[in-house]
Amino acid sequence: MRPFLYERPTSVSAAIAMASRLDARNVAPTQAKTQFIAGGTNLADYMKLGVAQPERLLDLNELTEPALRQIKTDDDTIRFGALVRMGEAADNNDVRRRCPLLADSLKFAASGQLRNMASLAGNVLQRTRCEYFRETSWPCNKREPGSGCAAMQGVNRQHAVLGTSDACIATYHGDFAQALIALDAVVEVEGQRGPRKIPFASLHRLPGDTPNIETDLAADEVIVAIEVPLDPWSRRSRYLKIRDRESYAFALASAAVALEMDGNTVRQARIALGGVATVPWRARAAEDALRGNVLDDKIAAAAAEAAFADARPREHNAFKIPLGKRTLVRALLETRDMKV
Amino acid sequence: MNQAAPVPKENQGEPVVRIDGRLKVTGQASYPADIATANVAYGVLATSSIARGKVSKVHTEEARAVPGVLDIVTYGDMDETDTPKFGNTGASSIGPLHDKTIFHEGQIIALVVAETFEAAEEASMLIRADYEDEPPSASFDSKGVKVEPAAGKSPMLQEDVKAGDFDAAYASAAVKIDQKYSTPTQHHNPIELFSTTAMWQGHQLTIHEPSQNVTGWKIELARQLKIDPANVRIVSPYVGGAFGSKGPMTARTAIVAVAARRVGRPVRCVVSRMQAFNTQTYRAETRHRIRIGAGKDGRITAFGHEGWEVTSRPDPYVVGGTSATGRMYNYGSVLTHVSIVHADRNTPGYMRSPPETPYVYALENAMDEMAVALGMDPVEFRRINEPEKEPIGGKPFSSRSLVKCYDQAAEAFGWSKRDAAVGSMRDGDWLVGMGCATAIYPTASAPCAARVRLTSDGQVRVQCGSHEIGTGVRTVAGQMAAERLGIGMDKVSVEMGDSALPPAPVSGGSISTASVCSAVLKACDAVRAKLFAAAVARDGPLAGSGNAKLDMEQEKIVASGGKSAKLSDVFKVMQVGAIEEYAEFAPKGSTPEALKKLYAGQAEFHGGDQDKDSVKYAFGAEFVEVRINSYTREIRVPRIVGAFAAGRIMNTRTARSQLMGGMIWGIGQALHEATEIDRRNARYVNRDLQDYLVPVNADIKQVDVILVPEVDLDVNPAGVKGLGELGNVGTAAAVASAVYHATGKRIRDLPIRIDNLIS
Amino acid sequence: MSNSTSPSGLSRRTFMTGSVTAAAAMPLMATSPKAAELSPARAAEPRDLSTISLRINKQAYTLALDNRTSLLDALRDHVGLTGTKKGCDHGQCGACTVLVDGKRVLSCLSFAVMNQGREITTVEGLASADGELHPVQQAFVDHDAFQCGYCTPGQIVSAIGCIDEGHAGSEDDIREYMSGNLCRCAAYPNIVAAIIQARDEIRRA
Repeated sequence: MRPFLYERPTSVSAAIAMASRLDARNVAPTQAKTQFIAGGTNLADYMKLGVAQPERLLDLNELTEPALRQIKTDDDTIRFGALVRMGEAADNNDVRRRCPLLADSLKFAASGQLRNMASLAGNVLQRTRCEYFRETSWPCNKREPGSGCAAMQGVNRQHAVLGTSDACIATYHGDFAQALIALDAVVEVEGQRGPRKIPFASLHRLPGDTPNIETDLAADEVIVAIEVPLDPWSRRSRYLKIRDRESYAFALASAAVALEMDGNTVRQARIALGGVATVPWRARAAEDALRGNVLDDKIAAAAAEAAFADARPREHNAFKIPLGKRTLVRALLETRDMKV
Repeated sequence: MNQAAPVPKENQGEPVVRIDGRLKVTGQASYPADIATANVAYGVLATSSIARGKVSKVHTEEARAVPGVLDIVTYGDMDETDTPKFGNTGASSIGPLHDKTIFHEGQIIALVVAETFEAAEEASMLIRADYEDEPPSASFDSKGVKVEPAAGKSPMLQEDVKAGDFDAAYASAAVKIDQKYSTPTQHHNPIELFSTTAMWQGHQLTIHEPSQNVTGWKIELARQLKIDPANVRIVSPYVGGAFGSKGPMTARTAIVAVAARRVGRPVRCVVSRMQAFNTQTYRAETRHRIRIGAGKDGRITAFGHEGWEVTSRPDPYVVGGTSATGRMYNYGSVLTHVSIVHADRNTPGYMRSPPETPYVYALENAMDEMAVALGMDPVEFRRINEPEKEPIGGKPFSSRSLVKCYDQAAEAFGWSKRDAAVGSMRDGDWLVGMGCATAIYPTASAPCAARVRLTSDGQVRVQCGSHEIGTGVRTVAGQMAAERLGIGMDKVSVEMGDSALPPAPVSGGSISTASVCSAVLKACDAVRAKLFAAAVARDGPLAGSGNAKLDMEQEKIVASGGKSAKLSDVFKVMQVGAIEEYAEFAPKGSTPEALKKLYAGQAEFHGGDQDKDSVKYAFGAEFVEVRINSYTREIRVPRIVGAFAAGRIMNTRTARSQLMGGMIWGIGQALHEATEIDRRNARYVNRDLQDYLVPVNADIKQVDVILVPEVDLDVNPAGVKGLGELGNVGTAAAVASAVYHATGKRIRDLPIRIDNLIS
Repeated sequence: MSNSTSPSGLSRRTFMTGSVTAAAAMPLMATSPKAAELSPARAAEPRDLSTISLRINKQAYTLALDNRTSLLDALRDHVGLTGTKKGCDHGQCGACTVLVDGKRVLSCLSFAVMNQGREITTVEGLASADGELHPVQQAFVDHDAFQCGYCTPGQIVSAIGCIDEGHAGSEDDIREYMSGNLCRCAAYPNIVAAIIQARDEIRRA
């Protein structure tokens, strides 16, 4: 690991001011000289591996704004402060009662210890766990633009089938983000250019030709809150995560589902897919396929077909297409059958 | 009722709690990297990123410029030492810093030594090498591999066992199968990281390193460093999981020792998890072709087992499990052949049940296929092929309780409730499948020495250079002494894991309990003999009881007539404060040199299929229930039952734990574990615990272990068959059979994952 | 032995000029350069040591550490508390679990410098002064919830966190919430049984 300076701003404005202006304009936050750290579960790991090489860390854990650590609920929103820990949010009774999808996407992620450490904002910004990205001796366009992609023709069982490009097929492994993108969450950001709100769906960028640029954030910007609009039917929501082992593993496929039902008919569906795409993945085609239809095995299967219509498999990950479809079908039917 | 402490049955010892339990739960048990070491410098390895070629230059300038860097050991710096040797003590003949040839990915190219771990780690990442690289051969089917028969080429496989006329019998068999199976590359991944701490005091070298073979390492390290073995001490009081990985010494040990000599202070090198995948041994991938022929009555007439195993370019490592599979059932005729495939990979090494895990997996998966082909119940199929004598040499089994194991496990599991029709059992959205398989592991023991001291106040100290790798050998050695000397466990201490102690064989091959307990037993009996002689002497407290049968209990010597004498009174008569006895145990059939070889670090194994009079194995039967989601096809194992017969059980608690751990290993072998190789460049891809999956707590539900009573005094004086490796043999085949039962899909290549079951 | 800890929020000034008092249990510190040797006049450099104060097992420590030093390495190499184990150094095994301000976390993924002013509990801080084991420790012995013992400190500390969080209500909950602690010897069923015993005992107390 390269040595780094360490500082602890005590307010969001101080943190932003301390971030380098030079970095802010020209480089992705993940390649900036000055980077923010909260839980550290992703950044410290990647610093140890030499994947992330900040020269200066700004520790956000001493920020004093109380809202950063609060979960506030009112009639139609849940607002998560950025420094709320995953475990705390997963255990929050209001969250669980009003939107099981949010709570379960957190509960089934990582481990008890990691959830106690990782902040919600940091969690949604976690970087891919692609093995070729993790180890610096492999070529990787995300880590070292232009160096090539070792995964493309390599061992790519865990890689993405949706949202891939010729430069990168790395999976976005997060779970919480799938719930957020399904529920049309909004991210509140502050930076040197002032505060702004980003629809969650615009936060992450498809890899395209620049897989090294992962989000819409500038290097001086910090997420201060995540706001999730809730409807009464958010209670009929579910996160289904399929993995090789029962716990403490990344999704091979997951589905975040929320349904507004009118009897057996779908009035509105919200669907996101994890473990199969390069970014948090909203499956709008599947939602369209369901709308106005009676939710049975057949229509669920049609929705799943629609969700994976553009999937591009590689040598070892073709199974993710049928698995992803079945995961969605199962999630839809289980969500339909929820007693709420 | 505490499940961890099964009530002992016939020939089974008490479930005494671990003698080191308190140390382990308080963080006071010192593993080798925990030893407080003043003025220690930190070592970090730099390793090759190519798998085949030559290093033309190592650039160390940038690394040396990192503040705090003390030294960099690289090519040329080991020239005054001897290269490692491949064998039971040495992991590989590759001397990474002796030879600029790269034989495998991750080969050591330098060791950086610095004031702090951070500086050493930073500098190690700045070391660059220029390579003349060549296209490597990764594994089976890769261009450029060299395939040769194992027998004759490897000292590890004497012969391809055979019996009768396989070709004729197979050709004429009424029912037959011919199938291929495979197992993947696997790494032991003990949770303790590999490490070496080397410290010199003048000419004396002390190495703190987790080891399963302190005596062997002492001799081998002295040879490499060209110093007197008397000046080398290997210390490894607690080992944080081993499973074979800490049996052979790797090249790192000598490199760290040289580094410590160069910088004139102790050096500690804790190897990263990632680097361990390449600098330590592993279980190589295997392939199998199995042919079984049987009559319509289910009696097997022909068994053919061909195996292929990957090894390194220079070393003919092979596990050759055909010697066990060829003796498993009453086959009629047997034909086996094992080939080794040299690729650009590190030399493999033994990993929990080295031959049996892959070979018995293939056999037992095939047995289930055969039962299906015959339309027979798989338990019944095994029962009717139960042999009187082993088919290769016609020797009897010293004991064989396999049928009892099947009976008891089947009963506990509820096998009779299984509907044999494929896909017939279901619980809601979950397909249910049930399968079973046989476990077998050879029973061996080796020469071993132990010292036992009994003081007049009833304190017992047992010393033996064996290794506590989690098996509970410290506890059972103490238990043996406590029982023989009639002393409470609270007054017994056991010292192990130090080459300064009486030598013990490598803690591998499930030989430790048998070997160590036999030596401790012998030392205790010598102590008893002295005490008994003094007790019944003319001036002794039991004078006149010379013809009585004497025993020791509750710190007394008790005569069969009912008289007894306090231990302290006997010591008083003897006018000594302590009795200390040093005993050497050598198994039946040992060569005249066996004990001499013990001190030279070369354990001579006896038992298994090697003895003249009988073959010696422990057996078990495992039953598994799997559940497979009908939509998403993930496979879960809610229930597993194993019944095992392994001679005398010293301690039902530690025995159960080991067998349970083995069975869970088997679940991991079946469903999770695989080291992925990028075949283009012969490099491992998932070199960490994020992507090399082992079972977690949530994967394991109900695990039942049945200890089937068995008496076998033929195996060794302690009557003990090893069981550390028995539990995970067969499990993967039982899982594969259960998956077949649930889905109709026969998966022959491990691990069995969603990929295989979803279409 | 004890030093008073300063409240959290350490400033640049403290970095540069704060005096360093090595705690008594730190023989290994002798080899490390001292922060106090640094000149207070120049700007901070990445290689400068930072002075941090922690309470570990109710004992105050002030350490001069490289910013890169993980809490795990700080405990093991600088304080001499080697009960906490390194099994992967990347947050994948749970062997390094400690309690920070009462919550179970992975000390390998936490830079020590980020723990200024925090209360750390390691396996060494669980038994009472008279040697009586914590109920979780005793239950691990009773249920043979380990073999090699290497993951055990992490399992025990994690189990305390798990019970405290209220995630030990059922066997399934325990299995799920203890899945961040790998046990390669695979003592899992015994670990679950041990946690149930300890949970009930803690509830009774």
